[in-house]
Amino acid sequence: MSAEEKQEAPDAMNLEERILELCKQNPDGIADSTLQKELPNVDTRQRVSAVNRLLSSGKIDLVKTSNELVYRLKDPGVVSKIKGADNQERLVYQIIEQSGNKGIWTRDIRLKSNLQLTQLNKILKNLESRKLIKAVKSVGAARKKAYMLFNLTPDPSVTGGTWYSDQEFESEFVEVLNQQCFKFLQQKVESVSALQLDPLLKRNRSFVSPEEVWKFITELRISKVDLSVDDINTILNTLIYDGKVEMTISAGAGTSSSDSSSKLYRAIQPLTQPTGLMRSPCGVCPVFNQCYEGGAISPSTCIYMKEWMDY
Amino acid sequence: MSSLQLKLVSLLVQEHFGDVVEKICTHLLKNGSNNFRSVVSTVKEKPEQVKKALCVLIQHNIVKYGLNKRGMVEYTADVEKALLLVRYPRYIYSAKTLYGDIGELIVEEVLHHGEILMSNVVEKVKVRLKEAMEGNQLEPSAIKDKFIDLVNTHFLQRLPSWSAEDDEESKVIPLIPHLSVSDADLYRIPETAGVTGKRKRPLNDGGRSSKRARSSSVGSEPDQEVPLDDGIYWKVNFERFHRYFRDQDIISAITQRIDKSAGDVVATMLRMSELTTDFMARETKPLSFHDIARQMPKKLENRQLEQYMKLLLDDQTMIVKKYGDAGGGMYEIDLEQASRVICTANIESVVQERFGSKSFRIFKTLLKKKYLEQKQIENFALIPAKEAKELVYQMFAENFITVQEIPRTPDHAPSRTFYLFTVELGQVTFMLAERCYKSLINLMTRRHFESAENKRLIEKEQKVEAITASMQGSGAEPAQLEEIEKTMTQLEKEQLQKYKGRIAKLEQSELQTDKTVFVLNSFILQEAEGRL
Repeated sequence: MSAEEKQEAPDAMNLEERILELCKQNPDGIADSTLQKELPNVDTRQRVSAVNRLLSSGKIDLVKTSNELVYRLKDPGVVSKIKGADNQERLVYQIIEQSGNKGIWTRDIRLKSNLQLTQLNKILKNLESRKLIKAVKSVGAARKKAYMLFNLTPDPSVTGGTWYSDQEFESEFVEVLNQQCFKFLQQKVESVSALQLDPLLKRNRSFVSPEEVWKFITELRISKVDLSVDDINTILNTLIYDGKVEMTISAGAGTSSSDSSSKLYRAIQPLTQPTGLMRSPCGVCPVFNQCYEGGAISPSTCIYMKEWMDY
Repeated sequence: MSSLQLKLVSLLVQEHFGDVVEKICTHLLKNGSNNFRSVVSTVKEKPEQVKKALCVLIQHNIVKYGLNKRGMVEYTADVEKALLLVRYPRYIYSAKTLYGDIGELIVEEVLHHGEILMSNVVEKVKVRLKEAMEGNQLEPSAIKDKFIDLVNTHFLQRLPSWSAEDDEESKVIPLIPHLSVSDADLYRIPETAGVTGKRKRPLNDGGRSSKRARSSSVGSEPDQEVPLDDGIYWKVNFERFHRYFRDQDIISAITQRIDKSAGDVVATMLRMSELTTDFMARETKPLSFHDIARQMPKKLENRQLEQYMKLLLDDQTMIVKKYGDAGGGMYEIDLEQASRVICTANIESVVQERFGSKSFRIFKTLLKKKYLEQKQIENFALIPAKEAKELVYQMFAENFITVQEIPRTPDHAPSRTFYLFTVELGQVTFMLAERCYKSLINLMTRRHFESAENKRLIEKEQKVEAITASMQGSGAEPAQLEEIEKTMTQLEKEQLQKYKGRIAKLEQSELQTDKTVFVLNSFILQEAEGRL
């Protein structure tokens, strides 16, 4: 008996190594049927026990692809990282890993792993303390925690993009950028109008590309975050909605960018003065709709009008 | 016609023409066309009073008369015409800017009388100028020339008058007079008109027609004095003034957006198309580059003008359009677009002032992107969700923006429905016009209230002034005058001063509000025209 066992052990070791070898050759994973073909002289029982040993020692993974189960070599880094972790921890880690940089909620982990809530919480806490995963608060749902691997940068849809920090929209930051961009465009217009130029040239020179604005903002160092040109474009768009800036698309030559067409921005003046209605107290009156002669609020007794007239 | 408009008209008519006229005007507005008998019986005034009131209203173009189906004479009041009463100061002021003091007085007199003979205007203006200038004699022809200027530029126009035939030849006296004027005569000054001299007319020649008056030989019986231009009445051409206001608005918008010279170019284009383009036309007749260059008051170099034309064409307001390439380029002004752009700018400024910059941003985002979901608004305007919701709902509650529901299932369940916010420009314009009317009512009510409050003071001041004037006339001692002066205490004087300041402010505000009404209404009119 003992001799037989002894003989089988090296055989088993050998088999395990061969399986690992095969897995290494097929980084996309290897199906059981292929394994069987590659190892014709090994019977099913031996193969199963070898695979099971490899699986339990965490050297390979069983991954489900579209239609079949495949074995895949596990990332050696991960193996060392979660060394000493038990099966359940490994399972949770894998689920979180699959979710990528979008993160996954506790409830979804629980559904996928079939673990008890208390148990899962303990595992998550454990993994978090070992800096393998981190909890990220999603901007869409502030109370739900999403978990993802420690070294990943969260997706913009989770954090809300550049304009969010700690799930809070930084309206002040946006406001400051908005003002600075406008200031830059205005300065450009002023500096151009100081020159004695043809009207057409004057207008064309007062256009600014987003890249220039981006450079200006970066040099100002008002932002702690690295802003991209796209972010600046978003800010410039808000200026268009503010009615302070107009945008035009210039095609091809004459622009600094190498693109065939690019957006250009320019500060503009509003078309009209504040309209006449708004210069009377009724224009901004908060109780305008409740106001009628003989009522509690009436033009004769209006205190707003009195203040305005005596101003 | 809304109840607010009715209320405003009744306030206006009362202020201008008194209580009785107001009663009749309101009655006609509320009940539609009415014959004389029913007006008399419902308003419970003496028939003579009603007659006079209707005369006043007809003379000021507020009431029209006509025959109904059964051949009875009916009177109909026109709200739009009556609402123009608010704008009278603006007409007078623009006449002043265009034609100086004399022009101001002429238009003022014509507006005051509704319809008037040219000789009467000249006479009245002469008297008033004499008072104002104290001795500085003025060329009598200057007034006449100004009047002719105003007619030539269509600011004044001739009223239809009796045509010669239905004078005495026709035996049957028609129920309503047939008045007519040919288009050619509308802005033509008859040779005899405006001669201030009077001509004696024999009594037996009772003809009303001016032709007859002229054709008859100089009368021998000095019985009745009739001005030479009898029968040729003139009135203010409101449309022409409105066109002037609109053009001014367009020019100022362009000046704001580009610069003074661009404004001049547009002004030239508008001036050139004044007589060729109909008031309600969608765009002016195309003008060639060379014509514009020739008509510019301040010569621009051709090259510069070319650049300005390009600037105007490129401008995102799109007021100036290119029509073709003939004649160095044909250009036209899109009046419909101009009125839309200016109206939108005015509405935007209302949002800006009433709700603040952030709401303004949301509003403009919606204007640009048409239909947006709540989430999209937040992303475009970069405003945090909570704040954006509040701002959007606030504007929604005040009817500045509307919601379009798009259900995914036929049961319209809120959870399966898209809610798209949008701005309905026409609707907002209507709503704001109503607001303007209400503001005007409020301002006028307040003005009447203030006057009523200080009635005693005002009367006292008037009395003191009258006494002082009469005493000065009879050569009283300065000490006596001072004594009279002293009957007004310091406190009373201060209070009076304050009252006058308040009234001035209210009146100014009324005029400004009316400017908004004008812009909004021209857009509504233009839109209605476009839909026909």
